[in-house]
Amino acid sequence: MSEAEKQRIKEASSELKAGVCSLLEVPQGEVFRILEIKGGPGLHRRLLALGFHRGDLVTLDGEALMGGPVLVRNLTTDTRLALGRGIAGKILVEPVKDVGE
Amino acid sequence: MSGNNIPEIVFIGQPNCGKSTLFNAIAGYKAQTSNFPGTTVAHLHSQVLWKGKVYSIVDLPGTYSLTPQEPQEKVVLTHIFKEKPDLIVNVIDASLLCRSLELTVELLELEYPMVVVLNMMDLAEKKGMKIDIRALEEKLGVPVIKTVATRGEGISELMDRIERTLGQRHRPRHLSYYREVENRIKKLTEMLPEDFPVVSNPRFTAIRAIEAETLSVDKFIAENNPQLKSALEKIREELSALRNAPAYEVLAAERHHLALKIFEDCCRVRHARVSGLEKLDDFIMHPVLGLFLLLLIFAGMFYLIFRVGSPLESWLLQPWESLRSGIHQRYGQSLLAELLVGLVQGIGGGVAIVFPYFIPLLLLMGFLEDIGYLARAGFLMDAFMHRIGLHGKSVPLFILGFGCNVPAIMATRILESRRDRIITALLIPFIPCAARTTIILALLAFLLGPWWALGFYLVNIIVVAVLGAVLTRIFRYSSPGLILEIPELRWPSLKNILQKTFYNLKEFVRFAWPILIAGSVFLSLLSYLHFDRLVNSILAPLVSGLLGLPAELGVTLIFGFLRKELSLLMMFQALGVNFDNLLQAISRAQLLTFVTFVNFFIPCLATLAILWKELGRRIAMISLALNLTLAVLISWLVRLVFSVF
Ligand SMILES: Nc1nc2c(ncn2[C@@H]2O[C@H](COP(=O)(O)OP(=O)(O)OP(=O)(O)O)[C@@H](O)[C@H]2O)c(=O)[nH]1
Ligand SMILES: [Mg+2]
Repeated sequence: MSEAEKQRIKEASSELKAGVCSLLEVPQGEVFRILEIKGGPGLHRRLLALGFHRGDLVTLDGEALMGGPVLVRNLTTDTRLALGRGIAGKILVEPVKDVGE
Repeated sequence: MSGNNIPEIVFIGQPNCGKSTLFNAIAGYKAQTSNFPGTTVAHLHSQVLWKGKVYSIVDLPGTYSLTPQEPQEKVVLTHIFKEKPDLIVNVIDASLLCRSLELTVELLELEYPMVVVLNMMDLAEKKGMKIDIRALEEKLGVPVIKTVATRGEGISELMDRIERTLGQRHRPRHLSYYREVENRIKKLTEMLPEDFPVVSNPRFTAIRAIEAETLSVDKFIAENNPQLKSALEKIREELSALRNAPAYEVLAAERHHLALKIFEDCCRVRHARVSGLEKLDDFIMHPVLGLFLLLLIFAGMFYLIFRVGSPLESWLLQPWESLRSGIHQRYGQSLLAELLVGLVQGIGGGVAIVFPYFIPLLLLMGFLEDIGYLARAGFLMDAFMHRIGLHGKSVPLFILGFGCNVPAIMATRILESRRDRIITALLIPFIPCAARTTIILALLAFLLGPWWALGFYLVNIIVVAVLGAVLTRIFRYSSPGLILEIPELRWPSLKNILQKTFYNLKEFVRFAWPILIAGSVFLSLLSYLHFDRLVNSILAPLVSGLLGLPAELGVTLIFGFLRKELSLLMMFQALGVNFDNLLQAISRAQLLTFVTFVNFFIPCLATLAILWKELGRRIAMISLALNLTLAVLISWLVRLVFSVF
């Protein structure tokens, strides 16, 4: 990858930073796109295996009481996961404006 | 490969796609099924005859990918490489086609003969999915069959297709990744040394090696072949640079994109209407109402079982009681009379005391399992479980434990961390299984009243919670948090629930009932010979000294080790009373003390055996000691409390 390209990616990602937040901070029912999965390779692999990839569209379906898990629906593959808060906090998403799909 | 030319066919697919149901549809009901990802945790063989030929079919646990993470997922990889099956049947939940194809792409890389099964076609159609089978076959290069396993639809087409595919010995071709990625894999393939342990084919091996980053295999390569290791590192870096992500993610993303592409090309989705079940789901998963519902479901379930069971019990008991007194009238106190009475009590205990509660409990549990409630209970209870140091994934296991402790302990394989597994497995023997619930309802609810039974249950659950909290404080470790797939709610198939209930009942009739009958006759013989006094006098310090119970009950504890409910059922025999006048022989407090002691005192033989097998002798012994200590302590407390009031 050329230096210029790298620069462009970097700029693009800092541009996005505006709406970027973790899955813990998003309102229910709105559509978001997965930008990045932080945390160790173990967690990352597990989520990949369960079909949660960068670029997938997700929405928050619900959450449990008392710091319980959140319920995340992957719209791209139409599956649902319950994720503990620690884990949901490691998934960064950005809002999707037009939900044409 | 099974040596004697019987072709081996393995069912592989993601969790909860219906492998076991399909297996049962072909081989008869043998495998447990439920709407919970992770029901099957070990392999299960069966030989079937189809059109004059014998096949060996194997049901395996579900796995999301071929990079296994949970203990039961590892079974799949080990099986593939050890047994080298003749044919892979890749089962797919058609309503989750897109995600499921990621595993299919991975399986195609093995280049084994393969058939793809689109199961749950009924649900896919309800979702408004229209899948073009011909197009899918073309894209994947393997036959594709539609089935609805619960109704047995498509089974004969599948078997015919399996036969034909076996005959052709056709090995499918893997699908190709993006060129730049494919080049890097090829480069590594060419670099693999002669003596490198190639599994299946070099390309598959190379992909595994690249993905092994951060896994233990990687260290192995580094130690044995530093040169290869550095080449591997370089390729990973190159792959990583392509997508600005770790190499393993680059490969996973390739499969994801292939799956998405195939899905888009082969499947149209018309908009589906919101079903009644989805509305129900909103209610079940509601943070507040959902918890209420959870309580209501379990309280209601036990109430219902009691309401159904208790009139049945008293109705069923009558003929056995009159038979018993008839025998005494006719034969007096002779040996024959004693043996006959033992026989009658053994048979009658099974029919009149166990069945009325056992069958409704199995039916209701089957319903909860099949509708998909187990995973939801895990979601709702996760926060609570964190308080006692575990997480929500243990909840379905505890609920399974209410059915029988043995499969519940097996199922702890779905927990990734060994520490969570051990703690959950140590707690499960404290959960009253169906057999014990039966006794609690039959004795406490029937003789003392339903509130006593409910109170007993509550205390039981508190004991589990406190013990959990103590154990997790001993084995400290911050658990990584919950990751649990929540499957869609499904209307259960009545046939499946009935089959499951029948299967579990059969297990009881086959194993427990004969022991009950034999034990009961044996006890009669012992008491006729006054041999039971020896056992009773040995156990007297515990039974009468510490717990203040009649010494005659000592001998029943021996049977309790086989199955706990036997101790309680043989109580009548030992005390020489029948069910209705039990309370003339012992007081309410004594009854409660005894039930408490028996409920906790030891994991039954089968539970102990499975603990030993799954987690080793040390854990089995710890469990034994833990149960015994707590049983003495708690039942002594019960005695104390009642002597004060
Ligand atoms: N509607 C419908 N339900 C099905 C079908 N096949 C299976 N089921 C149900 O789906 C659930 C899961 O089935 P299982 O056979 O336990 O799935 P599995 O693939 O063995 O699951 P694991 O052992 O957890 O990997 C059960 O409740 C079945 O009754 C089908 O074709 N249609
Ligand atoms: Mg199964």
